[in-house]
Amino acid sequence: MKQWQTIFIDEWRLWRRSYLAVSALVLFTLLLLATSIFTGLRMTEEQHAREHQQQEAEETFLSQPDRHPHRMVHYGHYAFRTPPPLAMVDPGVDAVTGQSIFLEGHRQNSAMFADERAAANTGGFGSLTPAKVYQLLIPLLLIAIGHGVVVRERESHTLTQLLSQGVSGTQIVAGKWVALASVALISLLPLVIASLSASTAGDSLSISLALVATYALYLLVWVSLIVLISTTTQTRGVALGLLVLFWITTAMITPRIGVASANATHPAPGKIETELRMYADKRELGDGHNASDPAFEAFRTNVLAQYNVDTIEELPVNFRGMVAQKNEADLTELMNQYAEEKMMQELHQSNHLRSFGWLSPTLATASASQSLASTGLQTHHRFLRETETLRLNFVQGLNQVHIDKLSYSDDINRNNDEESSRRVRVSSENWKVLEDFEFAPDQAAERWQAARYPLLMLLIWFVAFTVSGMYCAARIKP
Amino acid sequence: MNNALEANSLSINRSGKPVLNDISFTVPAGEIYALLGGNGAGKSTTLLTFLGFLEAASGSVSVQGEQVNKNVKKAREAIAYLPEAATLYGHMSAYENLRYFLDLANAKASDSELNEALDSVALQTAARSQHMVTYSKGMRQKTAIALAILRDSPILLLDEPTSGLDPLAIDEFNRLARKLADQGRTILMVTHDVYGACQVADRIGLLRRGKLVGAFDRTEGEIDTETVHRAFAERAST
Ligand SMILES: Nc1ncnc2c1ncn2[C@@H]1O[C@H](COP(=O)(O)OP(=O)(O)O)[C@@H](O)[C@H]1O
Ligand SMILES: [Mg+2]
Repeated sequence: MKQWQTIFIDEWRLWRRSYLAVSALVLFTLLLLATSIFTGLRMTEEQHAREHQQQEAEETFLSQPDRHPHRMVHYGHYAFRTPPPLAMVDPGVDAVTGQSIFLEGHRQNSAMFADERAAANTGGFGSLTPAKVYQLLIPLLLIAIGHGVVVRERESHTLTQLLSQGVSGTQIVAGKWVALASVALISLLPLVIASLSASTAGDSLSISLALVATYALYLLVWVSLIVLISTTTQTRGVALGLLVLFWITTAMITPRIGVASANATHPAPGKIETELRMYADKRELGDGHNASDPAFEAFRTNVLAQYNVDTIEELPVNFRGMVAQKNEADLTELMNQYAEEKMMQELHQSNHLRSFGWLSPTLATASASQSLASTGLQTHHRFLRETETLRLNFVQGLNQVHIDKLSYSDDINRNNDEESSRRVRVSSENWKVLEDFEFAPDQAAERWQAARYPLLMLLIWFVAFTVSGMYCAARIKP
Repeated sequence: MNNALEANSLSINRSGKPVLNDISFTVPAGEIYALLGGNGAGKSTTLLTFLGFLEAASGSVSVQGEQVNKNVKKAREAIAYLPEAATLYGHMSAYENLRYFLDLANAKASDSELNEALDSVALQTAARSQHMVTYSKGMRQKTAIALAILRDSPILLLDEPTSGLDPLAIDEFNRLARKLADQGRTILMVTHDVYGACQVADRIGLLRRGKLVGAFDRTEGEIDTETVHRAFAERAST
């Protein structure tokens, strides 16, 4: 047997015989199982709930009675973002961005929380998800079990005994590293189960495995750091202190500094201020409900010329509908500008925060994890864009019905009496302009693409700690 | 002349302070060299230097004719070392400790050889399979001595091997040391036991504040308890 194997086996013998290590491992495994099951159940429930709500919203829309098409534009519709299966490992921004949107004419609403409970869950504390447990708590477990691996032997002078047997520092430290790495890998078991069940629920197997590999790499970064510190310090107290300090700095403080720095570097414009600016811009585009708004004069001239007639009444189509359609197109272009600006700014912030992964392996991991699980900001942005397309399509579809199926004269006289208002109703068959909506998770290739950069950071952390560990191991002193 | 251990004008600094100052001595193969001196004289430091744990500021040490800093691994393989604070693992029994370290040293030993070694240091049979946390200092010391013997290496460096042993066990140890030397093993040991040293050692060195202040050779007839004792009291007290 190689010397490192003998040392590896002994490390486990020590852990087996000391209740602290074993009970810590058992405790954390139970915690992980509990959060995995709990988060898994919650996200599956959420997924079904949102799929159900989506279907219900569509049915409600389609079952509306015959009426004026523009009333349907205002009646509106809901779109829901169903979470991907891997959200049961890492729900990502799900808890903070809102998962449903009310879609209606002339407006782009922001995402809301699908239900009260989802909002209550956030209540200031992020709930404990498997991702958070792996990012924050398992490193603490590894520190608790592993900070003494080498320094304990130095303190009790058994290191002298070991070295004087002709065992090289490299062999000793390698044995310790493998022992602690095996603890890390055991702790990944609940994640493996969760990821595999996500892949049976529809997420790609390679991505599920990549997520497991990401956390494996992250924990190995910690293993290498812990062994490095344990190799180079003189007392357990100092080793423990340094490691906890590193944990507090990189897992607790750096992310918050990162957020603050992102906010300072790419400040979000005031919400009210922006909205006022947008309302002013919108007002200049005219009121689409009022065909005689001076804002549409040029448009009217154009249309009349196009159809080669002199008055609106002579047009073969409903001019009010045309104005509504044109106005919606103009408004949408304007609102999209604001929306894209906002998303761009959020993306800048998110990228800025991500670059703090060079200072915190925890941040790098969180970023890679969300990208792989398809629960990150970019996925949410795609949801916003897709729901906007859905919104614009059904609104313009209804406007087209307005143009084609209602005569202009009926339309302007719709408020004269009961009979006139009945005449401007169109068949509910027309509500079928609404498309089905089903939000799909990102493609595997896109997820890879987004996770590559933070994974590179993680790899460099790993190489840096491991290489310095090897260097110090070869020069170990009792 | 075949020297197992050699120190040539050795000087050592620890934490920037000179701890050994121009020390030279040799231990021929199969002899016992006893290093006497007060606390902090530099005795342990001398042993650590032969194991390559400390680097010489000047001068050198050799093991079996080869400079230690040229091949640390080879030196360590030739040496069985008993550290000053003899420490084995508390979470293992004496048997397990011996097996573990012998495994690491690539030394083979049968169960009966283990028992033989533990017999030779008189460790109670009943204690041998109990975890060593329950051992007294003397029992730990005995187990560590057994390990050094079992290593079957040509050279033993023993740092205060008799500390913590009762008077009977000390006598026992001295006999054992003589026996090992007679079998051809070389022993360099640090001790406070002037009487014992005079009984078994072939050579004795007196160390004071990092300097060798006296050397006695049995073949020259220089070793007798009274002479060494007086020299120790006069020259080596700190
Ligand atoms: N790890 C160390 N770091 C720095 N100085 C040390 C260390 N160990 C011992 N010393 C110093 O070296 C000197 C000799 O110590 P040592 O060789 O242990 O003496 P002893 O003769 O009692 O075995 C002492 O002055 C001691 O303070
Ligand atoms: Mg000493």
